[in-house]
Amino acid sequence: MSNNIECTHCNLSFPKEVMIEEENDLYFCCKGCQGVYHLLKDDGLDSFYDKKGNEKLSAPLAVDEDASNFDLDSFRQVYIKTTPDGFSSIDLVIEGIHCSACIWLNEKILNDEEGILEANINFSNHKAKIVWDEDTIKLSHIIERIRAIGYNAYPYKTGVKNDANISKKRDYFSKLSVAIFASMNIMMIDVGKYTGYLTSMSDDYKFMISIAELIFATPVLFYSGLVFFKGAYFGLKNKIINMDFLVSFGAVLTYIYSLYVLYSGHGHSYFDSVAMIITFVLVGKYLEVIGKKNANDTIDTIKSSIPYEATRIIENEKEIVSVDQIQIGDLIEVKNGQKACVDGKLVSSYASFDQSSISGESIDVVKHKGDIIYSSTINTSDVIVYEATTTYANSTFNSIIELLENSLNTKPKIQDITNELSKNFSLMILMLSLATFIGWYIYNGDFENALIVAISVIVIACPCALALATPIASLIGISWMSQKGLLLKDAKLIEMFNEIDTIVLDKTGTITNAKLEVVNVSNKDLTKEQLNILYTLADSSTHLVSMAVKNYLIKNYDNLEFVILENITQIAGVGIDAKYNNHTIYGGKSQDISSKYTSFEFKIDNKTIVKFDLQDTIKDDAQELVKFFNEQNVDVIICSGDNEEVVKDVANTLNIQNYKANMKPQDKYDFIVKLKEEGKKVAMVGDGVNDTLALSKADISISMASGSDISINVSDVIILNNSLKSLINSFYISKRTYKFIKQNLFISLIYNLITIPIAMAGYVVPLFAALSMSLSSLLVVGNSFRIKKDIK
Amino acid sequence: MSGILWIELIVGIISSFSLLGLLLWAVKGGQFDDSKKQMNGLLFDSTEDLQDAIKKDKKIKELKAKKQKNNLD
Repeated sequence: MSNNIECTHCNLSFPKEVMIEEENDLYFCCKGCQGVYHLLKDDGLDSFYDKKGNEKLSAPLAVDEDASNFDLDSFRQVYIKTTPDGFSSIDLVIEGIHCSACIWLNEKILNDEEGILEANINFSNHKAKIVWDEDTIKLSHIIERIRAIGYNAYPYKTGVKNDANISKKRDYFSKLSVAIFASMNIMMIDVGKYTGYLTSMSDDYKFMISIAELIFATPVLFYSGLVFFKGAYFGLKNKIINMDFLVSFGAVLTYIYSLYVLYSGHGHSYFDSVAMIITFVLVGKYLEVIGKKNANDTIDTIKSSIPYEATRIIENEKEIVSVDQIQIGDLIEVKNGQKACVDGKLVSSYASFDQSSISGESIDVVKHKGDIIYSSTINTSDVIVYEATTTYANSTFNSIIELLENSLNTKPKIQDITNELSKNFSLMILMLSLATFIGWYIYNGDFENALIVAISVIVIACPCALALATPIASLIGISWMSQKGLLLKDAKLIEMFNEIDTIVLDKTGTITNAKLEVVNVSNKDLTKEQLNILYTLADSSTHLVSMAVKNYLIKNYDNLEFVILENITQIAGVGIDAKYNNHTIYGGKSQDISSKYTSFEFKIDNKTIVKFDLQDTIKDDAQELVKFFNEQNVDVIICSGDNEEVVKDVANTLNIQNYKANMKPQDKYDFIVKLKEEGKKVAMVGDGVNDTLALSKADISISMASGSDISINVSDVIILNNSLKSLINSFYISKRTYKFIKQNLFISLIYNLITIPIAMAGYVVPLFAALSMSLSSLLVVGNSFRIKKDIK
Repeated sequence: MSGILWIELIVGIISSFSLLGLLLWAVKGGQFDDSKKQMNGLLFDSTEDLQDAIKKDKKIKELKAKKQKNNLD
């Protein structure tokens, strides 16, 4: 490691020998970095390196795609908007941004271009808004500039929702700014007032101070507090006394009373309380708005990875159309490096696809004629043609995005109960407050005192903490799950996970890798040259078998080197042919079909050198999965369509007592129904079309993202990285989240039980009631953040 | 004495609300949409960036004028 040296452009370290060296101690890890460095230097943009400091970048993105697509009419119609001044505007997501220097560089290079009016990149979500004059510069040129400096840009559609989110955030930010500004000024006066320094002041000065407080408190109540009035109005319209009603009712009452005091000159005004009540509760609301906006930004970023147009073939004529125009049955051409826009069936005889956007697996998947192609997966083979089997709206990737949107907008069942509880609770508090007012008024006949105590009761008992208890914990739980590669369709499932007592697992693809591994080798004494030829040959194909052999060689032999092979030919479904120094080389299917294994034969001049037997393997974390469920007292059952012998073998290896073999889709469905009739709460994990029926019947259906789109559609939970560890995590996180929801509810109820009697007894002024109420919300939020503490 | 205090109070309130108004105007214009960028701007922006901003404003004015002229033609 000591010999490593940092790349002048990206700061990544590599051994000195592999670096491209230039004069003046310049070292580059690749041609991309070297190119970008010189481009920036030539354009006088080398202050980028001062701004960047030691921040490490990834190597520049090499994009071969033609940018001229950005100038097409089909693209224009979908993504380009016209500003009121007649300029063009587009929203992009910039890929490859690491730090503020990257933002600076992109903005600088774009703003220096003639014809660009605005190039504004958001630091948090890497979204860019570009406004340009089409008479002066083309969009394709703008994109090429971004690509030239090692970044890439994707367009995304900004919906009405996005604009609404931005304006809502601005609105709340303005309201909060006014509230904080006014509260801070009032607080300055309050310090003197509550510490007793103003007691000897004459009434004239006290009046002046009250007027100042009135001036500051008024915009807080009527501008910042508008959100609560609106909430209260909608609540009353639906005959609900909600939290907003309590906040606005308490604040308005205090304000009117203080006005009366100011006018009459008797008593004590509480404008400070008005401002504080609104400000503290508004902070919570603002955080909620920010959270929702961030969630939608994430969805926009995911959406930007979907291609926006496709090449459709009609009667041997190619045309570029928007993805929305693709119909079922259309033939679509996908070039190397392009993404499939909708799901479909492969028409070409052979293809390989990078499905990482769906499954998280970085290894290419080989497809043969008739195999399913998923939307948003990348073609890593030559030009292929496939037939669309879905429209864009129903494609797998779009379904995943919709699931994500739904899961962000649904509330768990426990939340419904809490909402109901807080509704009744609000009404009860209003009654208690009224009773307090009447009680105190009868007791000492002091209107002011009775009113202030009653207001304190309303403010202190505002069920903010109760209302926050479930959503904040669910939000943290769900975001934690998504970090762990889990997509939850519905937040209600957090609760359901806690009731599960039986888990039914499909075998292939769920507890096995559905990926081959070498189990037998006929000849281990290969010469160095033979090994290198075999290694090069296996490397030339992305077929699962070749990759398994290559991985075996890397694992078992050191110092493998590539040799020069000529005329490498892939014979789809058979193997690879090549020439090496006038020898004929072959690697592929064995002629011997009697073996129960998949085999790979390596021949030189038609003479078999070595034969590999390959087999599907059990996932590494399967053992851990079984152990986890045993500890949780959850019954584990394997339910597979495979034959008895294979399923038994897997069950024995994993020490699972219950297994069902030879199960057809209907049998699996009946089995789940039977378990449910026995009163069990069943979770089913599967990945194939054959599991779909059973998945639709289970209490919780969990599907691997590599599975069929139908199984994904019926599933409640999708495991994006296909790892069983994620399945363990889903149970672990749900249980932990649920525990914290219960804790939060307990905290908020206990808080109210303690504080309400104190407030009713007249020991709390409204200002401290507001402070104490915010503290209870903070307690619940703080407690929820502990959910992620014990991360596994 | 009280008269001076009243004047001070009025001047203070008017000036502070004017500043608040400026902030709200900036928020409405989208300047605070990206808080991280604002902070980085404070830390790293140099005179060069200020000059760029002036150049950009000039460029926008020219482009708008050109567009208007084209539309009139």
